[in-house]
Amino acid sequence: MATRFADVDVGHDLHTLTLTLSGDEVKRYAVAARMPGGRFMSDDDARKEGLPGQIVPGNLSLALFSRLIAESLPDATLKKLSATFRGLVHPGQPLKIHGVVTEKHCTDEGDRIECDLVLESQEGDRLVTGTATVQFPARR
Amino acid sequence: MALDFDRSIIGSEFDRTVFAPVTKDAIQEYAAASGEPGANEVTAPPTFVVRLRGHRWMPENMPNLGRVGFDAGKDIEFGVPVRVGDVLTAVSTVHDIYEKTGRTGSMVFVVLRTVVTNQREDEVAVIDQKMMFR
Amino acid sequence: MILDLHTHSDASEDSRAPVETYMKWLVRKRDVLPIDGIVLTEHRQWDPHADYRHLEDKYGMLILRGAEVETDYGHVLVYGVNDDITRHFDFTDVRLPAQELIPAVARMGGLAVPCHPGRPTIGLCEHYAHKPPIAGVVAVEALNGGSRRGENERVQELIAHYGYHAVGGSDSHLVSFIGICATQFADEIRSVEDLVIALERGRYQPVDFRERLKKEA
Repeated sequence: MATRFADVDVGHDLHTLTLTLSGDEVKRYAVAARMPGGRFMSDDDARKEGLPGQIVPGNLSLALFSRLIAESLPDATLKKLSATFRGLVHPGQPLKIHGVVTEKHCTDEGDRIECDLVLESQEGDRLVTGTATVQFPARR
Repeated sequence: MALDFDRSIIGSEFDRTVFAPVTKDAIQEYAAASGEPGANEVTAPPTFVVRLRGHRWMPENMPNLGRVGFDAGKDIEFGVPVRVGDVLTAVSTVHDIYEKTGRTGSMVFVVLRTVVTNQREDEVAVIDQKMMFR
Repeated sequence: MILDLHTHSDASEDSRAPVETYMKWLVRKRDVLPIDGIVLTEHRQWDPHADYRHLEDKYGMLILRGAEVETDYGHVLVYGVNDDITRHFDFTDVRLPAQELIPAVARMGGLAVPCHPGRPTIGLCEHYAHKPPIAGVVAVEALNGGSRRGENERVQELIAHYGYHAVGGSDSHLVSFIGICATQFADEIRSVEDLVIALERGRYQPVDFRERLKKEA
């Protein structure tokens, strides 16, 4: 993936992250993010809340989007990040996180690009969708 | 029946919390758990700000919204990065309340806006959190 | 002529797609997505003052407007929204009476099309399982770009049983999903009035560009 503003074009795909989160990783994130809620800790605790099993916090999906941007565009700075949590994400579920550049523009604050972001299941269901605005260093 | 509530709660501040200084341990713990690269070991990754929990997460006079709440989404605008030693202040307001229907039935959405600043009053983040109740 | 009949711009609370960025994307992707225009169907709202003619001129695309409303039979796309319709029906109400809405919209010069009928809770299929069918339905959205596995497939039985015409739309909430599903019309459409007449006539079919996009990637 090209990492300079001049080399990035609308339609360019970001890197793809393919991963499966374990229950322990989800729990570890919930603790680090100070998220109370049994639903993130174990299947049993989640079922007490009426859920089918342990779920991944939306904030972790947001962090995965941020990671995707950082790995795809390491020289740029994240200025905005949005996510809509459309479906439950569970530990043990293979996930694919990907994105595409949809716009690029020069602003008073610097050169920026917009990206669409998707976290989907192995079957292609879009569980989390979002966007990011990323700013590149000022040209010298 | 249409959602009925006192609309004066929209825009009203319901929480203002000043947090203890950000520690290196907290940054490193969050970075390791999220897998999100930060700028370096004393600068937090961008989504570190979602970790901030104020004294109140909802206004006291919220209408009865339903039994179960879920995080439905977030919009975050990032300002200056969070660094070790920063004393962050988070001010929260109710930004919007609306009803819609979806796969799981009728839902009420509450959008809470939190503005986070540091000890220099630099804006660190503006977070719109969408909570869904059913 | 190919139109994406179901799209959301950033005027809908869960979309992050500016209309102009949709236009730029469609112009850029024209060889894969031969879309001639879109219909903005924002959630639960109607802005009588919104005007995109400058973007139509700039990008050579048709931009029409409708709305996606919520009823006791699921979600419905309303085309040909006018003052009469908005005086009679509060688009912010998530429990509009579909049996009343759909015939009334037709009487008032518009057309209402149940969308994503195969979706749980907010799709027509599930409601038809235990409620009488809605009088006056002409077409349903047989192909929705945001639906999950099996949801579009469920609609075929509904169409076969009731003889509904079938439309397609992306249900896009992000720029890169515009036009992935659409409707191909035999008729020329230049306005919302043309669209309503064309939908009534039934000379159209849903089209799916998702496989084309995968091959391009």
